[in-house]
Amino acid sequence: MLIELNHIFKIYQAGHVEVPALIDITLQVNKGEFVAIIGQSGSGKTTLLDIIGCLSRPTSGEYWLDGDLVNTLPDSRLTGIRNKKIGFIFQTFHLLARKTALENVQLPLMYAGASRTVQHDTARTLLTKVGLQDRLRHYSNQLSGGQQQRVAIARALANSPALLLADEPTGNLDSQSGKDILALFEQLHRHGQTIVMITHDPLIAQQAERRITLADGRVVADEYMHHPLPVPG
Amino acid sequence: MLRSIFLDALKNLSGNALRSGLTMLGVIIGVAAVITMIAIVEGGQVWLVNSLERMGTNLLFVWKKRLTVEERQLFAGRNTELRYDDALAIQTRFPDLLVAPIIELDGQLKAGDRDYSGRITGTSPEYSQIRNFRPESGRFVSSLDIKEWNRSVVLGHTIAEVLFGSQPAIGEDVKIGDQRFTVKGIMEPKGEIYGHDYDEMVIIPISTGLRFFQGSDKIRSMIIHVPDRQRMDEISQALHQFLVQRHEGVDDIHIRNQGEFLSAVDQTLLTFRLVLGGIAVIALLVGGIGIMNIMLVTVTERTREIGLRKAIGARRQDILLQFLIESTTISVIGGSIGILVGILAAYGIGDVVARAMPGGGDWGAVVQPTAIAIAFAFAVVVGVGFGLFPAMKASKLEPAEALRYQ
Repeated sequence: MLIELNHIFKIYQAGHVEVPALIDITLQVNKGEFVAIIGQSGSGKTTLLDIIGCLSRPTSGEYWLDGDLVNTLPDSRLTGIRNKKIGFIFQTFHLLARKTALENVQLPLMYAGASRTVQHDTARTLLTKVGLQDRLRHYSNQLSGGQQQRVAIARALANSPALLLADEPTGNLDSQSGKDILALFEQLHRHGQTIVMITHDPLIAQQAERRITLADGRVVADEYMHHPLPVPG
Repeated sequence: MLRSIFLDALKNLSGNALRSGLTMLGVIIGVAAVITMIAIVEGGQVWLVNSLERMGTNLLFVWKKRLTVEERQLFAGRNTELRYDDALAIQTRFPDLLVAPIIELDGQLKAGDRDYSGRITGTSPEYSQIRNFRPESGRFVSSLDIKEWNRSVVLGHTIAEVLFGSQPAIGEDVKIGDQRFTVKGIMEPKGEIYGHDYDEMVIIPISTGLRFFQGSDKIRSMIIHVPDRQRMDEISQALHQFLVQRHEGVDDIHIRNQGEFLSAVDQTLLTFRLVLGGIAVIALLVGGIGIMNIMLVTVTERTREIGLRKAIGARRQDILLQFLIESTTISVIGGSIGILVGILAAYGIGDVVARAMPGGGDWGAVVQPTAIAIAFAFAVVVGVGFGLFPAMKASKLEPAEALRYQ
């Protein structure tokens, strides 16, 4: 079991009013699964992604990630977990402008304390893996959206994370680039990578083997689409 | 890892050249302004002190006080003028003082076909020593001149040129009014001090002036040199008493101590310094606000950057270290450029002032190492402070919040 959420609540304070974003979420994700979390905007899927990604803490409930009860860990430990166990892919890519593809991919390695040679070599290997071996020294603004998202995927994979967490990864891409990215996900998944992807688009969610539907902060459906056999990892 | 963060921070700076440049500009303006202002004030002070010293030191100035109509009626018939006798009496009574009585006359000088109209000063041989003003050639007014009412004249440097050009003047005749004088000396060039141009002086023995031109023994003033600086006040009081006694109890004289004059100058300079210091502080603040503005304008971008860095594994101290390195580098480079600009500006302005100010030929800015140190330290503190503050705030946010910061 990679992810285990038990009775997770997330309540935002808007002035004196409490706004519940997640209500009593309980779910598990096994290693090697490719899960899509789907829901309308406002359903709480981004909040759920933040909690799974340790970018934010639940108001109550337990969250186990790869054997750690992360909701009780101090910020400094969470930073280490984000660095080593989770790779993030965002809708808006979140590459650092005015840095080359290579430099962007090196960042997680730098924060993990890798030597500059290791940083450089690993980043180069990963960029080659996502098909950008000719774009190593290009700056983000010299890359197309699809290429930028590939850089982001290479960055997410830098420290070989247990979990790849994607937030609308194709949301800002044209349909062909979107397909390419999903194909890349599929390929990673076949090699045993656990992927949790958030989307509002049912068509894209079809790429995953399991679909969890959120509405108004609750899980309303959790279904295996096809071939529910997870790849052992 | 430290090395990586350091290199990364430097790359951030060069990658964002415009942002770095604008921030640096704030630091440069602040530092340069402080250094320039202080250098100019210091230059002013040095110049003032120098010119006071060229005027001579340890001086007492004696003037006749203007009496009111009532006082004049009240003291009618009493001896209420400052007279040549007073000067002689002081010299006799206080032999260790140097006393130079002074009269001033308007007159015309003629030498051949050249002439000059202006002020003629009558004084005693002591004047040269008291004012530290020496003849360049020939000699000054002598005791014998005084004793024998000699028609000797000593010319200021400019006057000698006006009347004689490059011809030798010593021993030549000059007519003052209808009296024939002989040129005995040409004074060294000294320039203008407090509106008095020493090079335009025409000096004759005071006895001659009183006898042939003025027809009375009233004098305009006296300059007295006191050998011992510590006794200035004491002697000033003694002189005052002595003169009041001679004037039959009428207090009709002023004695001004050069020290009081100096302290008045010091007061003025202090005010000057405070005003310019205030302006300099404002300049530093403006520079600081410039830095702050750049930081605030980029805070959205930088907050997202901080969110992203935290999401991919940067600890809070990594973020703070990065921003510390960035802002320190900017402040130190900006501060160094500011020092350079400040020094150049100080000397530039000093030069302009020296040209513009009458008699300011030897005026120059004085760059103080302390000013450099203070300006630099302040700029670094402001730069690092404003650079680090938004980063501290942003690094406290949850990564989820920082990432989606609007």
